[in-house]
Order: sequence, then structure tokens, then C-alpha cells
Amino acid sequence: MVTSTPERARTPDADWRVGLSDDQLRELLHLLKLCRYFDERMEALYRQGRLPGAIYSGRGQEGTHVGVAYALRPEDSLFPTHRDLSAQLTKGLDLKRVMAQYWGRIDGYTRGRDGNSHIGDWFGHRTWTVMSHLPIAYPVACGAALAYKLRGEPRVAMGICGDGATSNGRWHEALNVSAIHQLPVVWVVNNNQYAYSTPNPLEFRVPTIAERAAAYGMPGVRVDAQDVLDVYRVAREAVERARGGGGPTLIECVSLRWRGHAGHDPAKYVPRELLERYMREKDPVARFAGLLVERGVIDEEEVKRVQERVESEFDEGYRFAQASPFPVPEDVTKGLFTDDGYWASEPSREGGTG
Amino acid sequence: MARAQVESAAAGHGAEPRGKRTEDGQATYLIAIAEALWEEMERDERVFLLGEDIGVYGGAFKVTEGFIERFGPERVMDTPIAEETIVGLALGAAMEGFRPVAEFQYADFMSSGFDEITTALARYHYRSGVPIPVVLRGPSGGGVRASSFHSFNPEPLFAHTPGLKVICPAFPSDAKGLLKSAIRDDNPCVFLEHKWIYRRIKEPVPEDPDFLVPIGTAKVQREGSDVTIVTYGMMVHQALEAAEDLEHKGISVEIVDLRTITPLDKQTILSSVAKTSRALVLYESHRFLGVGAEVGAVIAEEGFEHLDAPVVRLAPPNVPVPFSPVLEDAYLPQVADIEAAVEKLAAW
Repeated sequence: MVTSTPERARTPDADWRVGLSDDQLRELLHLLKLCRYFDERMEALYRQGRLPGAIYSGRGQEGTHVGVAYALRPEDSLFPTHRDLSAQLTKGLDLKRVMAQYWGRIDGYTRGRDGNSHIGDWFGHRTWTVMSHLPIAYPVACGAALAYKLRGEPRVAMGICGDGATSNGRWHEALNVSAIHQLPVVWVVNNNQYAYSTPNPLEFRVPTIAERAAAYGMPGVRVDAQDVLDVYRVAREAVERARGGGGPTLIECVSLRWRGHAGHDPAKYVPRELLERYMREKDPVARFAGLLVERGVIDEEEVKRVQERVESEFDEGYRFAQASPFPVPEDVTKGLFTDDGYWASEPSREGGTG
Repeated sequence: MARAQVESAAAGHGAEPRGKRTEDGQATYLIAIAEALWEEMERDERVFLLGEDIGVYGGAFKVTEGFIERFGPERVMDTPIAEETIVGLALGAAMEGFRPVAEFQYADFMSSGFDEITTALARYHYRSGVPIPVVLRGPSGGGVRASSFHSFNPEPLFAHTPGLKVICPAFPSDAKGLLKSAIRDDNPCVFLEHKWIYRRIKEPVPEDPDFLVPIGTAKVQREGSDVTIVTYGMMVHQALEAAEDLEHKGISVEIVDLRTITPLDKQTILSSVAKTSRALVLYESHRFLGVGAEVGAVIAEEGFEHLDAPVVRLAPPNVPVPFSPVLEDAYLPQVADIEAAVEKLAAW
């Protein structure tokens, strides 16, 4: 197992920008800020009673989500959880359609059949439509990776789950099978230190999740997810190793879940001093903005402009979602199977498919 | 073509080889299933098999004996004992354009992959629009003294799950034609073979590689006028035997073989009941909340005006399948039980 730390990656001689251009660094900042702002605003709307359903905040973990997903190519597939909307936005999902999903509208990626971050866009951005039974998508990621291997395609599947899901049998099954067949897959564990309310010491006995990789015969890397560039560097190495036929890698990204498991959970089980320290010292968004200013890639004015841009994108998405029609009730039984062609036709502006 | 290859591939492996067609072209259910797999793998390179011990060993029941020599280990993929991941592998590969057929050594072990089947596989298309051409197949059912964990009939569990097509053939030709249809279907199909039928029932089976039986259609296996028996799987054969005896007693029995549980062919059931006015629903899964409950309710709701007697269910009690021959016989509906139930209905 390798432990990667920002300090190690940021020695004066090291390539601090890990091979990324100025434009790519700006893109990362935009994504980080977009994901943070979306998360904050959606929680506010939820608390005001203006957002139906549930919310699952990924705040404080944007370094993980943006960093790992940025290492994927468009043709690579991503199998995330409800916590990982930021990874899906990084993969390219349209914020307007994402917001339409939250309000149960026809323009949402699931056409109103699921809500919140239980979202995906397989046809477009190769992301799995999220399910709750974690890590239910880990075995499925094995299947996608098997398809790439059988066809000899230079593509990679990436599965993300939390520390909580590593206690489930499927997690072990999937890692084992992926190693046996040297599948082109990257396993990301977003260790935000709590499985709902259960802390790491009640989830596993070994000191780290990453060291479990040795048991399956694959490399394991533990990375401090406060630093998006370090996460990206580790993920890129793993993705390119998988693409080149080198088999799977387990990456443990360590952060802290700043908010509760879901919108209703005040998370009083997280010690206040721990949370405050992470928010003060390990905020992946603020740290990255500070780094780019310090390195002279952008100035404070540009940071403000990025913030204004994400706020306007959010407002645009909100207006789009509110204007999007609801699906028509008559369609509730359609599209269970391919036989009726429901999904093969585009919905009308009245929300039905005729 | 496929027949010759399947037969040559059957030679020389395992303690209990799959066997061959008879000289007059009859095939067992086991051979018919192997032919379906073989033909579809020849026809479409996207079709591949995965499961436990299906490669060199040829599967616990020898369905895939000889396949690895013809199609290689990538298309006849041995997996570890990891049923959730077997389903996940099939689902993920299907999402990327393959048409996987996963073998479960026994249908009992589908419960070890239950969440991936009923949550992931079944519910994915409705929420995403992605076609999921996956077949899960395995031997179900009792009557072979295999006790609780090798005799289960899981069809009600999967029939109750929206998003799965559940297929339970009783004859070799139907098994072949339905399995080929399932492999060509763009939706998840649970194909439940019956291990009692595997080597016991043989008949002439079509050799045309495009012979298909449509999913969702029942078949009247015997015409009659007094009482309808709606059934499927092994119980079709018990019903046919009972119908012979009842014929001698002057009771004419019509037998509707469902062949697929979902989608349910209501029309064939209702047409038969319109003719006979009496219905017995006979099935091997547990009586309580089983296939008979649904079929009975369909007849009551949509065919009430045809009925001259209440719809009757005959099915095992709500206990696990027991081992002792005495207990298993008490558990499974016997021919004599069927005859008694039909006589009572006919006399109503």
C-alpha cells in the first residue's frame, strides 16, 4: 500500500500542477465551485421546503469526486453512489437535467422515475443510474470492465463507494473477481469517516481500507482528499494502468462528511472540533482556489468571476427545472421492458410519449 | 449442424454425460437447452456464458459440456462462487452490448445473488432506458430427493419483481425455443429449468436454428371440456398423467401450460375457463401467495361469469422442501391428489 500526501507531492521540485494546463486547472476550479455551490443551495431549498424528496450532501468530499472523475475519458464508465453527484457533474452531466430530476420532471435523466442524486446518463456520459443498496454497482462495474477486456477496447470502468459499503460482501466479491481476471477497473472508496453515524473503528479492524488491496492482489493507495490534484494524480495513474492492461487498483480517498448522511440528519455524532478542523484546514475547494492564486494561475478577481458563473448556472438550472413538464401519469407503467418502446421515443413538451 | 456439434461435444466428459438425441430425432430437455445455447452462441458472438464450473467441468448437470472446447474460456467463463458478482458481471457486460447467459448451479442459489437480480438487474431499464439482454438460468424444482437447498422453486419471488421475465418450460421443444427467445430478448429473463424433467422427458425437437417459442404465451397441452388445469413446469407432466386416468372416469381435462409466468398469458387461461367453467391451478411453488393466487385472482376478476365452481389451488404447503421420500411426497402434489381435486371440482 502507498500513502500519498500533499506534502510529498508538493516538494519544490515536483510538478505541482501534475501535468495539467492552466485551462485544465481553471476547469477543475469551476467544477469544484459548481459542486460546492450546488450542494449548498440545494440544501437551502430543501430546508425551505421547496425541494421534494431527499438530499445527500457531498460537501467536503469534492476533492475526491472531482479528482477521480477528472481522470476518466468520455468513453470510460463511472459507477457512483448517491453521495457522488459531483463526480457525475465532472463526467459531464447537464446541470439543467440534473435539477429537473430533483423536481421529478420529464427532462430529468430518469424521466421522473427517480429523484435526487439517484441519477445517471449511460447513453451520454457513461454513468450508472445510482441505486441505494451499496455497493450494488461494484459487481456491475466488473461487468462493464469485462466487456472492455473481451473486446480489447482501451476503456476503463470506475466504481465509487463509501467506507460504509466496504463492509458488504459484494465489495469483496467484486474486488476479488476484478483481480482474478485483471479487469480494467479502478475502485474508489470515498472514506468520509462515517457510515451514516457509524465511525471507521466500528466498520473495520485494519488501520486503513487501502491495505485490504493486498488481500486481493492489487495495488492500494491512500490519499488525503483535501488536495484535488493529488487525488487526480493517483486516479490517473490507476486509470492508465488499467487501460494498459495492468488490472485494478484500490484507491482510498480520505475526507470528512461535512453534513449528515441525508438532509434530515444533523450529524451530532461527528465531534465538533474534528468537523471544524476539516472545514478550516482541509476544505478542498478553498485550498485549490488558494493554490491557483498563490501560483499565479489566476487572481482573486477571477475566483470571484468563477463564483458568479456557477451561481448563474445554478439559477439557469433552477429555472429550467421549474419549467420542465412533469411526466404524464398514464406513462407510469411504460418502459418497464423495451417491448413498448417508451425509452426509444423522445418525450413531448407535455411530458408524454404518446 | 448444431445437433452434430452438441452431440460430438458431449462425448467423453464427466461422470454423467449429457447424452445424445435418439436416432429418430428425439431430445431430452437437457439436450434441447444445450442446443439452444450452442446455436445462439454460433449465431451471435455477443452471447457468452458465465457461471460456476461451467467450463472444463461442463456444469453440474452437464448442460455446457464441450462448450469450452468450441467457444473458449472467454465465452464460457468460470467464475468464483460469487453469485452477486455473477449477476453484476452479466448486467455490466449487457449494458456494454453483450448478451450474457449466467448459469446458476441450482436455482436455489439465485437467492445468493438476490439483490443484484431484483434491485439492479430488474429495476435498471425502467429508470434509465438501457436495454438489459441478460438471461439467468438454472435448475429449479423438486421430486428428485435433493432436499431443501437443491429443490426450490423461486419463480414467485422473481415474478413478483417488476422488470423480469420469468420462464418455466415443461417440454424440451419449449425449453429450446423459449431459451433462444430469451437470449434474443433485450430484457432480463429468469429461465427456470426443471431438474426432474432434464433427463426424463424427451420428444422430437426442432433443429431449425431459428425455431423460437414466443415469451408470454401459454399452450394448451391437452384439450378437454370439463375442468381446466392451469399449471407449468414439472406439474404439467403430473397433470397429463392424472388427465389420462380421469378420462377413463369420464372427466375431460384441459391442461393449460403457462410456459412463462411473466408476462402471464391471461387470454389463454380465460379462454380455457370460458370453455370448461371450472379451474384448478396446480403449481410446485408454495401455495401461499404463489402463482396460483395470481392466476386464481385473474380468473375471478375477469372470468367470473364463466365459473360454475370456485377456483381451486393445489400446491405444496408453506414449509421448506423436505428430504425424506415420505415427506417430500407429502409435500409435492401427487397424481392422486390432482385426480381427487379435479373430481371434486367436476362434481361441484
